[in-house]
Amino acid sequence: MPVLEARGIVKTLGVGRAERRILDDISLDVEAGEVVAVLGRSGSGKSTLLHLLGGLDRPDAGQIVLAGHDITRQRARALAKTRLRHVGFVFQAFHLIEELSGEENVLLPARLPGAGRDGERRARRLIGELGLTEIAGRRPHELSGGEQQRLAIARALVNDPELVLADEPTGNLDQDNGATVLALLRSLRRRAVVIVTHEPEAAAIADRVLHLHDGRLRAETAAGVTLRESA
Amino acid sequence: MRVRRRRSLLTGLGIALAAAMLVAALVVSDSLGFGFDRAAKAANLPDIIVRFNPESSSRVAQHITALPDIAAYSLRQEVTSVSLQAGNQFADNGDVEVVGTGPRGYAIVAGRDLSSRPGEVVVEKGLADAWGLKVGGTLDINGLGEQRIVGFSESPDNVSYPLAVPRVYVSAAALDTRFGAQANPQVNLAEIWLRDPANLNEVLVQARATSYGLQGLRFVTRSGVRVLLDQAAGIVIDLLVALSLIALATAGVLLAASARAEVQRRLRAIGVRRAVGASRGHLALVQALESLFVAAPAATVGAVAGVLATYGPTGRLLVLLNEPAPGAALAPALIAAWLAAIAIPVLAAAWPAWRAAGRPPVGLLRGAELGRGRRAGPFSMRRAGLTTLGARLAGARRTRLIATAATLGFSTAFVLLMLALASALNSLETDPGALGKRYQLTANLPASAAAHVRTIPGVQAAAPRYETQAVDSFSLGETIDVIAYPGDHTIFEAPPLVSGRRLRGEHEAEVGLGLSQALGLSPGATLAIQLDSGAELRLRVAGVVSSLDDDGRVAYVPAGALLAADPSASDEEELAVRLKPGASAAAVTAALGPSAAPATGAIGRGVPLVAVLRSILRAVAIVDGLVCLYALIQACALTVQERRRTVSVLRAFGAGGPAVRRLLAGAVVALVVPAAALGVALERLVLGPALARLAASYVTLSLGASRLEIAIVLAGLALAGAVAVVWVAHQTTRENVITGMAGS
Repeated sequence: MPVLEARGIVKTLGVGRAERRILDDISLDVEAGEVVAVLGRSGSGKSTLLHLLGGLDRPDAGQIVLAGHDITRQRARALAKTRLRHVGFVFQAFHLIEELSGEENVLLPARLPGAGRDGERRARRLIGELGLTEIAGRRPHELSGGEQQRLAIARALVNDPELVLADEPTGNLDQDNGATVLALLRSLRRRAVVIVTHEPEAAAIADRVLHLHDGRLRAETAAGVTLRESA
Repeated sequence: MRVRRRRSLLTGLGIALAAAMLVAALVVSDSLGFGFDRAAKAANLPDIIVRFNPESSSRVAQHITALPDIAAYSLRQEVTSVSLQAGNQFADNGDVEVVGTGPRGYAIVAGRDLSSRPGEVVVEKGLADAWGLKVGGTLDINGLGEQRIVGFSESPDNVSYPLAVPRVYVSAAALDTRFGAQANPQVNLAEIWLRDPANLNEVLVQARATSYGLQGLRFVTRSGVRVLLDQAAGIVIDLLVALSLIALATAGVLLAASARAEVQRRLRAIGVRRAVGASRGHLALVQALESLFVAAPAATVGAVAGVLATYGPTGRLLVLLNEPAPGAALAPALIAAWLAAIAIPVLAAAWPAWRAAGRPPVGLLRGAELGRGRRAGPFSMRRAGLTTLGARLAGARRTRLIATAATLGFSTAFVLLMLALASALNSLETDPGALGKRYQLTANLPASAAAHVRTIPGVQAAAPRYETQAVDSFSLGETIDVIAYPGDHTIFEAPPLVSGRRLRGEHEAEVGLGLSQALGLSPGATLAIQLDSGAELRLRVAGVVSSLDDDGRVAYVPAGALLAADPSASDEEELAVRLKPGASAAAVTAALGPSAAPATGAIGRGVPLVAVLRSILRAVAIVDGLVCLYALIQACALTVQERRRTVSVLRAFGAGGPAVRRLLAGAVVALVVPAAALGVALERLVLGPALARLAASYVTLSLGASRLEIAIVLAGLALAGAVAVVWVAHQTTRENVITGMAGS
């Protein structure tokens, strides 16, 4: 059973003459252990798709089932709980909290009401596994972009989510750090990972590469021809 | 747009509250502070008012014209204890002044002055308001019959009905027309205007020296009247000025913080405008104009609300003080306050924009993140959760945290102070024990009945008590309440001894601290007082006592000395009755008969004044409470506004309403805990003692808030914090997470 099932997703942005259907009848399944890369130009709707898949926004039409929960029908409180338990986000701008150390940032989702147990133990393990032990006590502005993004990935994993959604995870990093982060996302076992990016390098680590163009999602074949993933 | 509207609404609310507080303070301060001067000027109040036993007008005029520096004078007959009636309203203690030629000494505030036509009366405004009289209506004066009311008057030489006896004026010429002119009418009151009021003391000395033949002389001076009124108004003015400063500080700190946060949010936009060539001045001007758009209507609403909230109660208080409402005279100050309420937020908005626009455009375009937050406090997120994070987020803006906590602390202290003041007023009004009075009952019985009263079961002691009014023989400006008992007065009244000792012989007196301060008396000095009869009594001051009676202007003297100097003092004789512990006051009252009455507190006679003061204090306390609530909500909202991305990231990771509330609760706790501690300490250690000295330096008056009052205020503060948390959390969780993360 897929971790994520999206069917017939429609999203329109803007009003009046500026109204634009940015996602048009998108369908997508992502299995556990699978890494899916969604490529597209700036403004193609990649981030909007990611936000809808993670329950940060609601589609105009369609259905999204995440870890068995129909998040398009959930109320705000239940949706927040679904995000807490089943989704981890990685953002381009890291969004670490300046006042907190790296370790405290990693721990933060585990301290939210309703989070599962073992958050602290898991945080420590993740910090070790991701090679962050030495820098865990430092504050974000004392760290490099790569280190910050690795902390952000650890934060995304601290509640042991089934789905990790990464929005341009290498957008603010140099080539070496970008490669490290992509390798890290590739190595996440048992989890479904969706990466949206405009950088083709991300495709190299993905099990499946999808292109978002004119609001439609198309799959990339081995021959390099794009086909519609679903309609 | 909706978020921006809410922000503007919150900012506007703060400006409106600050403007309301400022204007309220202004209205009350100006009205009470300058009321006497306005009233004295409007009424052309005489420099000296002299009362004496009835004497022929020609003889009195002869005495007055012999005095130096006299600009004008008028003679009149004052008839007391006259029955007045209008409809269902009735008083048997009316004061009718028969005015002759010369200046009046009162201002006509409605209708017109008396003419020489018979049947006309001018009524004091306080009496007219209390009885609902109208110009053109009628008033029945015993002995004169029904008189037509032609005007209302105000004269600040005394407070008005119901604080004082009802006072009306009729024309001597009209009485002459009706009853026939007298060749040399009797008068008992003279009003004297000096060419140069600086010569007052010399004129008074001369007046006493040349008053041979005039009996029962009692002088009241304009400055003497002013001292009494100023003291009454002083407390209210000081409180209001302090409170308005707190409100202004709160509004200033929070509006400046809000404006800074708003500019911080717009750094990118400012960077873009700078990059395309906009000048710093232009950007600051745009920000200022936007702020003006919110500030101008908000300040207007606040100013109008402030005027409406205070003008009525203050006007009623002024009528009681026989002073006019400030009217148009207040306009310049109100306009200045209104402009200040607009200028402060506009400047607070323009300044950070000016500073931000001074940064290099590239830096601005790079992002609108706040500066590096401080690593605040020893708490670790490993041990604590969102509440600690909230406290740390609030603590990251340390200067603002301190400023906001300080303003909240001051507000808390003032609310505590007003509760303590209200308790003290209540206690003074209702509990004679609070004044050191040890007798519980009085009975209008002769001294000879004392022995019999002592035999009534439940009575511990009974003795005649004499109380009469006197003035200081030297300056004649200070009125003194003279109280006398035969024997040891401490059995019945034992105000605490401040210095010296209790009186022992027939030639000694104890004086209240208020009188001691007014006349510079200390143990060993001579107290020279002029009694109601005109006789003078000179006693050696044995001790100084704390007493609230008559603002501490009291003198305890031996009954023998008082009666020897003024036998008519026995007319005011009553029995003071002290009960045995546990005795039934009702049973003793029944045994004493209908003349028995419970002893009153210090301000029992001033109930309307106290009621007005209470309503003003209540209005100020409510505004102060609203300022607290506003400060908390604004502090919460600012934390969210500045940490919009942080809150949104938390929400993206699954933080729901409860988590956001815990986060905000942490920010509120970081504010409220130090504010509460500061507020309690400030009230107990500084403001309470200071106000006690200010309000009644002539008495040991505790204005420290009780535990219950502290608990109530802290609970109110916690409730205000909870309201702020719930409201801001509700607003925050309604926002789209994506929008919040974009930080736009």
